[in-house]
Amino acid sequence: MDKYFSVFKISLAQEFVYKLNFIMWRLRNIIQILVFFFLWNSIDPTYFGYTQSSIMSYVFLLILIRSIVLSTKSTDVSGFVSSGDLSNYLLKPVGFFKYLLSRDIPTKIINITFSLFEISVLYLILKPNLFIQTDLFQILLFILSLIIAGFIYFSIIMLSNSAPFWVPDIGWGVQFLVTIIFVEFLSGAFFPLDVFPKPLFEFLKLTPFPYLIFVPIQTYLGGVSTVETFKNIIIGGLWAIILWIVMNKVWKKGLKVYEAVGR
Amino acid sequence: MKLSVGKNNINKSILNFYARAWLLMAKNSMLSWLNKKESVIIFVFGKVVRYFFYFSFLYFLVTKTNGILGFSANQALFFTATYALVDTISQFLFRSVYTFKQLVITGDFDLVLLKPINPLFRSIAGGPDLMDLITIPPIILVAIYFGSLLDPSLLGVIYYMALILNALLVSMSIHIFVVSLGVITFTVDHLIMIFRDFSSMGRFPIDIYKQPLKGFLTFIIPVGLMFSIPSKALMGIVSPAGMVFSILAGLTFFTLSLKFWQFALKRYTSASS
Repeated sequence: MDKYFSVFKISLAQEFVYKLNFIMWRLRNIIQILVFFFLWNSIDPTYFGYTQSSIMSYVFLLILIRSIVLSTKSTDVSGFVSSGDLSNYLLKPVGFFKYLLSRDIPTKIINITFSLFEISVLYLILKPNLFIQTDLFQILLFILSLIIAGFIYFSIIMLSNSAPFWVPDIGWGVQFLVTIIFVEFLSGAFFPLDVFPKPLFEFLKLTPFPYLIFVPIQTYLGGVSTVETFKNIIIGGLWAIILWIVMNKVWKKGLKVYEAVGR
Repeated sequence: MKLSVGKNNINKSILNFYARAWLLMAKNSMLSWLNKKESVIIFVFGKVVRYFFYFSFLYFLVTKTNGILGFSANQALFFTATYALVDTISQFLFRSVYTFKQLVITGDFDLVLLKPINPLFRSIAGGPDLMDLITIPPIILVAIYFGSLLDPSLLGVIYYMALILNALLVSMSIHIFVVSLGVITFTVDHLIMIFRDFSSMGRFPIDIYKQPLKGFLTFIIPVGLMFSIPSKALMGIVSPAGMVFSILAGLTFFTLSLKFWQFALKRYTSASS
């Protein structure tokens, strides 16, 4: 356990080495949120079943949930695979996934801390009317949906990281497609998914992406029935389990064909 | 008379030289991409899917709300089409800015300075992204389609095309500012991405933003000049004075960027070489 705590401490220290990088990354998040905020401020959200306060809460929750779910360092693993640097980690007496999780936790902690600061500042500047959830049960379900989202995202990232085992040059391309295109657009990070017509929206809910951002926010806002909330949690949980199993199998198969090219 | 003919010939040969240099760099860029065929397919597919998502979201949004802030659904879609057009052409032309940091931190920029070619030209236009050649034609068609739904006048179309060229000039100026800052601070990567994030605010009419952000997007990073004003010109809501002001602002921005490049170049230390 000590060795993972050391990884945790080193990763935490590393976050403060590249301060400018980190500040720029946070600034980019804020810019994206501002677009979202001003867009929904200039249209009537009731067309889509939202009140002004619930859509503004959606915007502010996005900052926090992106920090909890989407902040990760594990995107560099595909580079380790294609460059052969993965061998360094495989030779060490550490579980690779535990090592990655130990690196991700400080990243998430710092991102969450900054996101809370940003939410406070933006709240003071923009003065939106926000919805505050007071139902403890709904808050517990929200936390559960976030844990599920974290596992789904980690599995998705690791699955895309596995591609270079078979095609070494493809790593960045797959990451671009999965994290920048599919996750950003289909998770609800760019817009609430219920903007889409109902059949398309229902179809999207069969994929794992909405369970990353959209479902946790819906769970917090409590805009759907309890049955629907439980259904969302169960489907999200099933996706987390399925993706975790598939990711483990793909990773193990990948290790069998791994040739440490470049080493 | 003789002297001016001679000058014209020199200008022509310089243009020819740079055109050939650009084609050569484009060819090299294409060859390096062709070595990674799988990645090219994924990137092109990703870019197409991204625009498909943009337009689908906006389509469902504005058709249900009948537009944004007084702009009709078709006008709102046209704003996004114009953004996509300028953004994609800029990425196609100025892609080498994304690799500029590496030149500076390794000291390889010395080699660029030693070559008999303008280092600024090499730094911003030295590696066009030929994948965008696949996505530019459909984006032009989308812009023409949504533009035609607005029943523009001939003058509106001429204004639009002139302002798109002006937008590309402004985009080039911003890329020059970014590489200049890169010479001084080595932080090109994030700066260019932050510029792209700000410019993505131009997906929607700039009127949706409130002050002081709107002022920032008008005067500091002229997103309005690049994306909103050309679209408005086609819609017939930019006066001739507004048109002249926009072009003068574009030229001023360009001049300032060149001056800043000269300033930055004098501070290049060649530290890593």
